[in-house]
Amino acid sequence: MGVPCHFALFDLKPDFRVDEQQLASRYRELARAVHPDRFADASAQEQRHAVEQSANLNEAYQTLRDPTRRARYLLSLDGAELPLETTVQDPDFLMQQLQWREELEDLQDQADLAGVATFKSRLKQAQHALNDEFAAVWKDAARREEAERLVRRMQFLDKLSHEVRQLEERLDD
Amino acid sequence: MALLQIAEPGQSPQPHQRKLAVGIDLGTTNSLVAAVRSGVAETLPDLHGEVILPSAVRYHADRTQVGVDAKAAGAADPLNTVVSVKRLMGRGLGDVKQLGEQLPYRFSAGESDMPFIETVQGRKSPVEVSADILKVLRERAEATLGGELVGAVITVPAYFDDAQRQATKDAARLAGLNVLRLLNEPTAAAVAYGLDRQAEGLVAIYDLGGGTFDISILRLSKGVFEVLATGGDSALGGDDFDHAIAGWILAQAGVPVDLDPAAQRAVLQVACDAKERLTDAQAVEVAYGGWRGTLDRATFERLIDPLVARSLKACRRAVRDSGVELEEIGAVVMVGGSTRVPRVREQVAQLFGREPLTDIDPDRVVAIGAALQADTLAGNNRGEDELLLLDVIPLSLGLETMGGLMEKIIPRNTTIPVARAQDFTTYRDGQAAMMIHVLQGERELVADCRSLARFELRGIPPMVAGAAKIRVTFQVDADGLLSVSAREIASGVEASIQVKPSYGLTDHEIAGMLEDSFRSAGSDKAARALREQQVDAARLIEAVESALAADGDRLLDGEERAAIEMQVEALRACLDAADAAAIEQQTRLLSQITDAFAARRMDASVKAALAGRRLNELED
Repeated sequence: MGVPCHFALFDLKPDFRVDEQQLASRYRELARAVHPDRFADASAQEQRHAVEQSANLNEAYQTLRDPTRRARYLLSLDGAELPLETTVQDPDFLMQQLQWREELEDLQDQADLAGVATFKSRLKQAQHALNDEFAAVWKDAARREEAERLVRRMQFLDKLSHEVRQLEERLDD
Repeated sequence: MALLQIAEPGQSPQPHQRKLAVGIDLGTTNSLVAAVRSGVAETLPDLHGEVILPSAVRYHADRTQVGVDAKAAGAADPLNTVVSVKRLMGRGLGDVKQLGEQLPYRFSAGESDMPFIETVQGRKSPVEVSADILKVLRERAEATLGGELVGAVITVPAYFDDAQRQATKDAARLAGLNVLRLLNEPTAAAVAYGLDRQAEGLVAIYDLGGGTFDISILRLSKGVFEVLATGGDSALGGDDFDHAIAGWILAQAGVPVDLDPAAQRAVLQVACDAKERLTDAQAVEVAYGGWRGTLDRATFERLIDPLVARSLKACRRAVRDSGVELEEIGAVVMVGGSTRVPRVREQVAQLFGREPLTDIDPDRVVAIGAALQADTLAGNNRGEDELLLLDVIPLSLGLETMGGLMEKIIPRNTTIPVARAQDFTTYRDGQAAMMIHVLQGERELVADCRSLARFELRGIPPMVAGAAKIRVTFQVDADGLLSVSAREIASGVEASIQVKPSYGLTDHEIAGMLEDSFRSAGSDKAARALREQQVDAARLIEAVESALAADGDRLLDGEERAAIEMQVEALRACLDAADAAAIEQQTRLLSQITDAFAARRMDASVKAALAGRRLNELED
C-alpha cells in the first residue's frame, strides 16, 4: 500500500464514532511535529518532507473530522471506492428531497430568515439521525448496500446545508 | 571531554547563537520592520526616530527616494512617485484598469501581462517598487541590529491570491531578503496580542488598512492557531474613505471631478487630513482651493457607511464559512489605521456584541506579530510554548474542464499545506496532449475566475477516448503557493509547473532586475553568487549537523552516518575556496545523501508526537 490508513496516523482504530475533541487535539500535536514552520531553518529536503507529511496529515484530518467523508472513507477501506453520483433507487428519500427543496424555495421567495433558522436545525437533526443509522450498520458486510445508501443520503444533506448557507448569503444582501 | 548536547528534533544545538530575523509589514500606505530584542518585540525606528515608513517611492533619473520625502513629493511629481503600489501587486494590466481608480501613472506592458510604470528612471514593475521599500527596511534592520539577517517574515493580507503572494516573494528576493514565511496579517495581529497564550477560544481579526480589508476567524488552542476562515475585500480601505470625502469636497466646491494627477492628490490629502481630525473632533473645517466648509461626523458617517457595511457583510460571511455562530466569538482584534475611525469601532462592536481590542497601536500590531513569528522560525525559541500557525487558502483552486467550467480541486479555507489529486481522461481517440489550465476563484465559469497558469501534458500514448487516466496533483505549501503536476498513469509521462501567474514576472525579467540591481549597487555579480552559495552550504551543514546530533545515533547505522559525515567534511573543505560551482555540486551531493535520513526523522517525529500523547493519557 505505502499509504498509511488515516486512522492509524492518529493512532485510532477504524470506526465511525470518533471522539472529535481527541481527534482535534491529536491533530494539533502531530501538526506541531511535522509543520514546515518547524523546519524553516532545516535543509531543503527536510522542508520538502515536512510539506508532504503536513499535507497528508491535513488530508487525513479533514477526512476524519467530517462525518460524511469519514463514512465514505470507512466504506472504501474494505471495498471498492464508492462512486460519488449513482442513480440508485431510493424512492422514499427522493420524495423527501423534493420536499426539502420546495421548502427551501419558499423560504427564499419569502426571504424568511427565521424560517431558515428553523430549517437549519431540522436539517441538523436529520443529519444526526443519519449518522446514528450509519454507525449501526457500517460494520456489517451483509448490510453494505444499506450503508452505501445512507452515505448518499448524507451527501445530499451536506449539499442541502451548503445551499442553505448560500441562501443566507443572498438574504444578507 | 565534551558534554553531549541533547536537542529536540529541529532544535539548534547552539541556543546561545541568536539569529537575527525580522518581521516586515509591507503595507499599502505604510511599511514597518520589527524585531525581537531582549525578549521584547518592537518596531525599529530610522535615524530620525520614525518607525513608520510611508510606502512611497520616488524615482529620479539617478537615484531613488523612499518614504516621507517621496510621499511629500507625490503631489509635485505624481508620475514618478509611486504610492499604494501594493494594490498593483500580482495584477495584470487588465486588472489595473478594472480597479477603476484614476491612477495617475503611465502604464506599459512587459514580457508578461504585468503592468510596468513609466518613470524618469525607466520602466518599474510593482515588484521592483516594493523591493525598493523592502530594501530600505532591510538596511534599517541591519544597521539597528548590527548584523546580517537570516531571514524575514513578511505579512500579506489573508485575502491575497497566489499571484499577489508570489509577487511579494519576488519583491523580497529582489531586495535580498530570505523569506522565512509569508504570514497573513490578521494572524500576525493575533500573535502580537499574545492571544496564543490563551487556553481556548475563537477570535475575529478585523483589519481595515489603507487599501485592503481582511476578516479572519481563528481558533486558538494551546499555542496552535487554526485559521478557520478568511474573507475580505482586496479593494476596500481607508483610501476609499478619503476618496469618498474628496468626492464630497469637490461636489461642495463645485469643482469638476476630472482632475489632473497633482490636483487629485492635493484634494485626497485634504480629505485624509479631515478624516484623521474627525477621530477626536465632532466637526472639522475643510479648505480646498478657494472653498471653505465644515465636515461634521454625521456627514462623514453617511459618506463611509456603505463602505463599513461592505466590511461587515464580509465579516458575517467569514463567520458562516467557519461554521461557528457570531455569539461564539470570544474576542475581536482591531488592526489597521482605519480602525481608529470611531464609526468603524462602533459598528464592529455592534455586530459582534462586544468591545474590540485596541490596546496595541493598530499600525504596528502586524509588524510586531510578524517579528515574534520570525524569531520563532529562525529557531530562537524552540520548545513547548512554540507557536504554530495553521493557515488556510483564501480562494478555491481548480482546473478548466469541458465547456469552460471550473472544477474545484481544493476548496477555499482548506488548511495548508495540502496536496490533492484528481483524475481526468481524454475526450478524443488518440489524443496525445492535454492542456492543463489552472484557475483560482469561487465562480463556476472559467471566464469569472482568475487564470493562474497553463501548461501542457504531452506524449500521452494513443488510446481510445476515455481510456487514459491523467492524475493532476495540486500542492500548496505553507506560504500558500501552488505547484501543479500532471501524470498519465499507464505510461508515466509527466509534466509539472511551479505556478507562476500569467501576469507575474517571468524568470527572465527577475534575472534582468537582479542584474540591474547588482550593477547599480556596484557589486560584482560573481562575488554575490559565490557568497550566496557559501551561505546556502553553511546553512545546510548546520542543519545536517544539528540533525545528526539529535537523531544520528537513533536513526542511522554506522555506515550511513559515516557517509553523511564524510560528505559534510567534503563540503566544508571546499567552502573557503572561491569556486561557486564546486560548492554547488558538493551541496547537492550532501543534500541527496541525507534525503532518506530526513524522511526517517519526519516519521520519527510523528511517532514521538503520538507517544507523547499516550503518556498524557496514562496520567489522566
